[in-house]
Amino acid sequence: MGNKKESGSTSRRQKSRDRAFLLFTAPGFLLYLFFFITPVLMGIYYSLTDWDGISKKYNIIGLGNYVKIFRTSQFMDSLIFTLKYTILLVVFTIVLGIIIAMLLNRKIKGKGFFRAIYFIPAVLSSMTIGLIFNKLCYYIIPIIGKALNIAALSQNPLADKKLAMWTILFVNLWQGLCIPTLLFLAGLQSVPTDLYEGAVLDGATSWDVFRYITLPFLLPVVSVVFVLTLKSGLMVFDYIMAMTGGGPGSATRSVAMLIYKHGFTQNKYAFSIAEAIVMGIIVAAISAAQIYFTDKKKAV
Amino acid sequence: MIEGRKQNNVLTYIILIFGLLLIVFPLYITIVTAFKSNVQSSQSFFTPPIPIYLDGFKEVLSNERYWRAFFNTVYVTAIVLAGNIVIMPAMSYAVARKIPVSKAYRIVYYFLLLGIFIPFQVKMMPLVKLLSSLNMMNPTGLGILCISSSTCESVFLFVGFMGAIPPDMEEAAWIDGASTLKTYTSVVFPLLKPMLATVLIKQGLWMWNDFMLPLITLNRGWKDWTLTLFQYNFQTEYTINYSLTFSTFLASMLPLLIFYCIMQKSIVGGLTAGAVKS
Repeated sequence: MGNKKESGSTSRRQKSRDRAFLLFTAPGFLLYLFFFITPVLMGIYYSLTDWDGISKKYNIIGLGNYVKIFRTSQFMDSLIFTLKYTILLVVFTIVLGIIIAMLLNRKIKGKGFFRAIYFIPAVLSSMTIGLIFNKLCYYIIPIIGKALNIAALSQNPLADKKLAMWTILFVNLWQGLCIPTLLFLAGLQSVPTDLYEGAVLDGATSWDVFRYITLPFLLPVVSVVFVLTLKSGLMVFDYIMAMTGGGPGSATRSVAMLIYKHGFTQNKYAFSIAEAIVMGIIVAAISAAQIYFTDKKKAV
Repeated sequence: MIEGRKQNNVLTYIILIFGLLLIVFPLYITIVTAFKSNVQSSQSFFTPPIPIYLDGFKEVLSNERYWRAFFNTVYVTAIVLAGNIVIMPAMSYAVARKIPVSKAYRIVYYFLLLGIFIPFQVKMMPLVKLLSSLNMMNPTGLGILCISSSTCESVFLFVGFMGAIPPDMEEAAWIDGASTLKTYTSVVFPLLKPMLATVLIKQGLWMWNDFMLPLITLNRGWKDWTLTLFQYNFQTEYTINYSLTFSTFLASMLPLLIFYCIMQKSIVGGLTAGAVKS
C-alpha cells in the first residue's frame, strides 16, 4: 500500500517537474518563433512576389526575382567584389592571426601588456572604428603620404577606386584579427612543450617544427577561424557603411550593402529579400561546415 | 643558439611594437584631436594637446542627443541582458535535462540552433514590417527583438555547459522534496554562473555595438538613437569641426574602454567561447 502511494506521489512530482520545464522553455521559444522564424518565413513568401514594400497590392510572381538576380549585373558585380574581399580577408586573417599569436606566445617580457593592447579593438564598435578611420583617411593619410613621398597615399585612399577596398580590408583586419588571434593563442597553448624540446634535440629547423608540430595542433582552430571569417566577410556591412557607403561609384558595394540599398532606399522590397535569400543559402552551407568542424574539434 | 634566440627576441619586439603602434595610432589621434582646438589640429594632428582644449568634449557631453543615445544604448543592452539572465538559462536547463528522455525537446533544441544558419539579411526586411505593424519600432521593441536574436548562441553555450554539470546535486534537492523551480534557483542557477558571465559579456558587447538593427528600426528620430546611430548621423552634420567629431567618437568609446580596463580577463574569455553567432 505504502509503496503504491509513494510511486503515485513520485509520478505526480514528475508531472509537476514536466510542467515547470515546459514553463521554463515556453517564453524563450515563443519569442524565438515569433521574432526569428516568422520573419524568415515571411521573407521566403515575399521573395516570390513583386511587392515594393509600400503599395497595398502585389502579385505572386514565383521565382521571377531569383531569375532576375542572375540576369542583372548589379548582384553579380557585388557578389564578385564580396568574394574577392572575403578571400583576401580570410587569407590575411589566418596568416597574420597565426603569426601574431606565435609572437604573443613567446616567452618575452611585457607579454601581458602587449596582449592587453592588442585586444582593445575587439570591444569597440565596428561603426566607431569605421568612422574614425574614415576621418583618418580624409585628414591624416594625405599628410603622411606627402611627407613620405608616396603618391598613392597623397590623397584620400577611400576616394580611389582601387585603394578603397584595400583600406576597408585593412580596417576590418585591424579589428577582426583580435578574436582569431585569441583563438590561435589558445590553440598554441594546447601544444605539449616536450614535443618542441624533442624536436630541437633531433635538430629540426624552425620551419620543420612549425610544419610538423605547431600546425597540426592549430588545424582545428584554423577551420573555425576560416568559417567565422568567411561568414563575416560575406556579410560585410558596417565598415563599408561607415567608410565609403559603397563608393566610389560602386567599387565597394558588398552584397549586404546592395540588399540594404535595394530594400530601404530603392523600394525593391521583394527583390532585395530574394537577394538576401540567395546569399543566405551560401552562408548556410558554410555554417553547416562550421558545425561539422566544431564537432570535429571537440573530438580532437 | 642563445645568440640566435636573442636576435629572434629583438625581431619579435620590433614586430610587436610595430603592431602596437598600428593599434594605438588611431586611438591616439582620436584622443588628442578631441582635446585640441581646430586651429591647433590644423597646425598639426600629431602633437599632444598642449594647451588642452576642453570645449569640444564639453559640447558633446552637454548635448542632450548624446545622453539620450547613451541611455537608449544602456536600456536596450539591459533588456537583452535581462532576457539572457531570466529566460535563456532556465530554457537551457529544461532543454538540457529533457534531451536524453524526450524527442520533443530534442527537436526544440535543434530548432533553436537553426538560427545559426540564417544570416541576418534574410529576415531584415520582413522584421521591419513585423515590428512596425506591432508598433515596436522603438528601443523597447528592439530590446525584445534582440533577446530572440541572442537565443541560438546563448542556448548553445548554456546547454553545452549544463552537460558538464553532474545532476547529483539536483537529485539531492529533488529527494529533499524541493520543487523544480526551487531546485533551479537554489542549485542549478548558481552553478551556471561562470557561463552566465561569458554569455552576458558576449551579448552585452554585441548589443551595445550593434549598428544594423538600430539603423533599420530606430533611425526615424534622434530620441530613439543608440550610440552607434548617434555617431553615424552626427558625422554627416559636422565634418569640419575636428574637435567635436573626435570628441563624439571618444565619448562613445569611453564606456567600452573603461569596461575593458576593469574586466579584461573575463572579456577575453567571453569573446572566445563558442564563436557561433551569424
